[in-house]
Amino acid sequence: MQQYLSCGASEHRLSRRSLLAGMVSAGAGLAHVTGLSHLVRPAVAADLAAQQKRVLIFFMAGGLSQLESWDPKPNTERGGPFRAIPTSVPGTHICELLPFTAQQMHRLCLVRGVNTAEDDHGKGAVFMETGRRDSPAQRYPALGSVVSRLVAPPAMALPGYVHIQPGGGGVNKADAAFLGPKFASITIGNGQPPANLLRPNDLTPIGDQQRNDLRLKANQRFTARRRTAETEAYSSSYEQARQLVERADIFDVSKESAQDQERYGSHDFGRHCLLARRLLEQGLTCVKVTHTNYDSHSENFDFHIEQLGEFDRPFATLIDDLAQRGMLDSTLVIVMSEFGRTPKINHLFGRDHWSKAWSVALAGCGLQKGAVVGKTNDDGTAVTDREVDARHLFHTYFRALGVDSTANYPGLNRPIPIGDPAGDAIQELLT
Amino acid sequence: MKSYPFAQTPARSLTAALPLLLSLIPPPTCSAEDAPESAPAAAAAVETMPVVAVPTPAVATPRELSLHELIDQQIGAALAAKGIAPAARANDAEFLRRIYLDLTGSIPTLGEAKAFLDDKSPIKRQQLVDRLLNSPEYARQMQRVFDVALMERRPAQHIGQAQWEEYLRNAFAANKPWDVLVREILASDGADADLRPAARFYLDRGGEPNLLARDVGRLFLGRDMQCAQCHDHPLVSAYLQTDYYGLLAFFNRSFLFTPKEEPKAVVFAEKAEGDIAFKSVFVADATDQPARPHLPGEKEVEEPQFEKGQEYAVSPADGVRPVPKYSRRSRLPVLLPRGDNVAFRRNIANRLWALMMGRGLVHPLDMQHDGNPPSHPVLLDLLGQRCAEMGFDIKAFLREVALSETYQRTSELPPGVETLPPDSFAAAALKPLSAEQLALASLQATGITDVYRASLGPALNEATLSEKVAANLPAFLGVFAGQAGQPEQEFQATLEQTLFMANGGVLRSWIAPQAGNLADRLNRVNEPAAVADQIYLCVLSRPPAADELADLTVYLQARTQDRPVAIQEWIWGLLASDEFRFNH
Amino acid sequence: MMADQPASSPPAPDPTQVRQVKELKHDRPLFACRIDHTGRYAFTGAQDNQVARWELESDAKLALAGHESWVRGMAFQPAGELLATGDYAGKLCAWRWAADGAANPVYQIPAHQGWLRAVAASPDGTTFATCGNDRFVRLYGATDGKPLRELAGHESHVYNVAFHPSGGQLASCDLKGVVKHWDLSSGAVVRQLDGSLLWKYDPTFHADIGGARGMAFSSDGTWLACAGTTEVTNAFAGIGNAVVVLFDWATGERKQVLRPKDNFQGVAWSVAFHPAGFIVAVAGGQHGGAMWFFKPEEPNPFFTFKLPAGARDLALHPDGYRLAIAHSDGVLRLYDMSPKPAA
Repeated sequence: MQQYLSCGASEHRLSRRSLLAGMVSAGAGLAHVTGLSHLVRPAVAADLAAQQKRVLIFFMAGGLSQLESWDPKPNTERGGPFRAIPTSVPGTHICELLPFTAQQMHRLCLVRGVNTAEDDHGKGAVFMETGRRDSPAQRYPALGSVVSRLVAPPAMALPGYVHIQPGGGGVNKADAAFLGPKFASITIGNGQPPANLLRPNDLTPIGDQQRNDLRLKANQRFTARRRTAETEAYSSSYEQARQLVERADIFDVSKESAQDQERYGSHDFGRHCLLARRLLEQGLTCVKVTHTNYDSHSENFDFHIEQLGEFDRPFATLIDDLAQRGMLDSTLVIVMSEFGRTPKINHLFGRDHWSKAWSVALAGCGLQKGAVVGKTNDDGTAVTDREVDARHLFHTYFRALGVDSTANYPGLNRPIPIGDPAGDAIQELLT
Repeated sequence: MKSYPFAQTPARSLTAALPLLLSLIPPPTCSAEDAPESAPAAAAAVETMPVVAVPTPAVATPRELSLHELIDQQIGAALAAKGIAPAARANDAEFLRRIYLDLTGSIPTLGEAKAFLDDKSPIKRQQLVDRLLNSPEYARQMQRVFDVALMERRPAQHIGQAQWEEYLRNAFAANKPWDVLVREILASDGADADLRPAARFYLDRGGEPNLLARDVGRLFLGRDMQCAQCHDHPLVSAYLQTDYYGLLAFFNRSFLFTPKEEPKAVVFAEKAEGDIAFKSVFVADATDQPARPHLPGEKEVEEPQFEKGQEYAVSPADGVRPVPKYSRRSRLPVLLPRGDNVAFRRNIANRLWALMMGRGLVHPLDMQHDGNPPSHPVLLDLLGQRCAEMGFDIKAFLREVALSETYQRTSELPPGVETLPPDSFAAAALKPLSAEQLALASLQATGITDVYRASLGPALNEATLSEKVAANLPAFLGVFAGQAGQPEQEFQATLEQTLFMANGGVLRSWIAPQAGNLADRLNRVNEPAAVADQIYLCVLSRPPAADELADLTVYLQARTQDRPVAIQEWIWGLLASDEFRFNH
Repeated sequence: MMADQPASSPPAPDPTQVRQVKELKHDRPLFACRIDHTGRYAFTGAQDNQVARWELESDAKLALAGHESWVRGMAFQPAGELLATGDYAGKLCAWRWAADGAANPVYQIPAHQGWLRAVAASPDGTTFATCGNDRFVRLYGATDGKPLRELAGHESHVYNVAFHPSGGQLASCDLKGVVKHWDLSSGAVVRQLDGSLLWKYDPTFHADIGGARGMAFSSDGTWLACAGTTEVTNAFAGIGNAVVVLFDWATGERKQVLRPKDNFQGVAWSVAFHPAGFIVAVAGGQHGGAMWFFKPEEPNPFFTFKLPAGARDLALHPDGYRLAIAHSDGVLRLYDMSPKPAA
């Protein structure tokens, strides 16, 4: 429960037990769990900042059709009405609904052989986001929470994992599972900043400072002979919150230039992408943007025109901006869904849930640029080459981030491997 | 309801009665004859099962020592062996705040604090422990603690939260022994109206066999065997796949049944057939191994066989709850909550210890296995044995822990000592307040609870006050409580929580003056010393130190223009301090 | 597309006796159909890149190649020799529909960016009008495909277009049910009719559903019918009710909402005014297909005919009795409304 400071904190707790032998065989990215110097953020050297890894997740809620996006089968019985268009990678074609994205293909890579064998929305999302099959007895943390735990600088004032979506905001503790609420996602609903971020009107900055000084003075007395990692964590959380309050406008996308707002578009998703860029530029570690909705059981093609018509340009603009700013090499970008959609077109022009052969697009963080891994058969129903599932993807994400995903989580009181031992990374995507 | 008199010196009296008790215990058998034949029979077994079964102690127990003396002896011996000098005894104020938070879930009122600090009796700590253990606040605090421990903040689905809480509260008020409580929980299928709330453990887990197997292992046996679902635990040699499936087999025939005439009265029913098999995912070409019900490390339950077509007392049919002649699940409440079940008695001893001491002798609480030895193995064995001997009397057990010097140490390190290992129990742990404790303590500290007391007038009692206070809890719990379905995590300070404390309207409204609350009362006190006295006793349950009084005096002198604002700043400074956030 | 009444006075068609008389099986779900003014051929578009010509007498099938996506838009030059077809790649093709053997398009034009959703022919046969997802309505010279005019103003995908029988006027309807009345001499919008009954923004899925899936003027120009779906409760599962909105063209007001009594779940994909004075609409949905016969003055059909599969388009035969329906199961079915001889 508590550790006295000079005891080596969690390290002490870890090393005491034989059961934990080999638990932290962790590589880069885990080093921060040991020392306590992180409790006050050090002056970050420029090269350190450059090494700071970030993650940007696009969650295409409902299930993006792979045939209308990354794995088109034009002019086939099940291919739908759309054409495939060439991209900036010779030989690679994607659906015509993504013309702007096609011009960024040399920065992306495609995984076309995804078979997750899970056609339920909830369970599919759990599998894709946690890299573990949904199990009633054990919930695993979502990707963003894991990133927040393993990759985010621990003393950062900014939250480690922010989720931008249309609709309501709040904190989703379920995301963090056993990692604890500190690593939960903070949801920015429709651009609203997190709750209580803004100082109440009747509290002046001076009054805030004064009461904070009183808090610190009280702590000084109490912790003179009682200082633990936990009192440090609690006290420093006020300092982190104070810093964030001062920077509340990082959530205000209207502070971006009019030109950029025009480039990203005036619709919600465009603004959300620009907010994602703003947050990543400000140093936030993991941003998830949900684009909804793709669950087109009827009129699949009309709805993909509408949704991808909204998605394409801001997404491509964001990829381009990250690359132009030199951030893409340290930012892992993932475009995922719960599953793909049936190759068979139903009588309502819809496509239903299909998890046996679909695609995920990735970019950045050293992943092979322009690569296409995996293949599906001519009618798109099955994977014929390099079949992978959410577990392989999960390992791949963390390997790209410099984390040994086969290691156990550090700092937990029981041995739990970061990635599912039943899977491994997609080596050919890693440089 | 059956009452369980609270024995003041249970260890000794029970020890004296040991031979008699032993003679009452039938030899453990697992034959088919004593297997209940139907669900009603299983329910009857709850009343008739022997409460205590005491094996020969593994070590020589110094029977002449009371349990709290024994605790101090064992902890002290380990400290001496390591050459660690323990921290001093906590002062009265530190003890006062600690015991209130541990046994009632909140901090004392101004009057209670003053009375205790002014009390000159040499046995006032023991008197306070006894008073609090017998208060209705104790029952409600145990209700909160065991609700969170057993249900892990899962939403109420089939059993109302209020009924479940009432069931737990009544159990702790009557000091129902732990084995009886667990037997009720494991035996209740929801059909019997009296015991229906106890079925929440099963029903609100959806009756999911894997979840139940895992949680029965974790919460009642101290073993998290989740990893053993797919293979023998790679790192914990004692956690075997066969043991996981042995527990699972108690549940694999069970399912939630919804009666047509009463769709809300869902019960946990069972079929007469269905077997499970498992194989390791690590072993190529592994063959399926059948799993029969058994407790971890114990032999399989012998099960009666019936001819095909003869398995049911009530056969399955559309809309009919089947009743098998032999119920697998009904074996569990018979076999598991027993004094001779070492894992069971060690688990509850360790959990009650951790409740008071801030960490288990085995820690984490659900990782009891050879690879994770207890910090004090002999003590844990003794605590388990004594707990069983005491008839799993939770009050008596907590009382002994509270009376130990180990519990009553200060959390301040001795001068010149830089660190003390937390598992040495050489100093009191800093225990983060639970979400409930934080909310209740904040309400009491700011005087909001006092406002409610005044408003209730003659109707004031624990129940009416609790009802008033309860309305304030959801806002706090939403921010500070752990995630549903996850064990309460180790301490984390989240951004959401800190922003709630710093800028949130709830806490600000409690701090702002309103008739009868702390700020309001302080606004009507002129003398700085009186202000300091009240503010520190109310918020931190201790008198101000001299330098604190001096600082406050200067502060108020400089703020004559906006004195009420200055007072609120001071209250907030203490509420947001480490001293308030932790039970020290 | 509608033939003149036969010269003699044969018995009137009786929708209540409608029956299937022929099945023509294509290998992909059908999407569009038309019958030429002589009644010799039916043409279909499907979920492939083909236009198929079916000789109704012999069932002989001829594939017309040239499209690059699914063909939904089809219109004959009235009593002329050209058939215009439009696809979801935005391409407009014109065919000499009566030519023998495999024919190449007379011309092919990249008419729209994105989907070309509908084609209409002017009453005098000189002009084809097209509309599409690029929000434009465009006019082309029928014989040479020369661009004549671009009508801009819709703010969402344009689903359908129809010429008023008087010539010189055009109606178009977009996703949100905005019906624009265009004056073709000036290219200006004369007025806007409110067909928003056909549109819904589904806040759950963050998407629009709507549009006139079928559109037709009565031969005297009194009525404009727009077919589609309304009261959508779940856009992505296709949960809404098939409906035909009838406008009084003179006033621009919505005069009637035609719908089956059973609130058929699905989309009305086509609507036609029969020369005998009734309105035919066909629909497809979760639970199959239906054909309804309405009188303009009554909201509910006077006769309903259950179809064996979802209907996507409807074409009247010039004999005044038969009609063809393109079905989602790939079958073009021919139905006959001629009165049955007494048994």
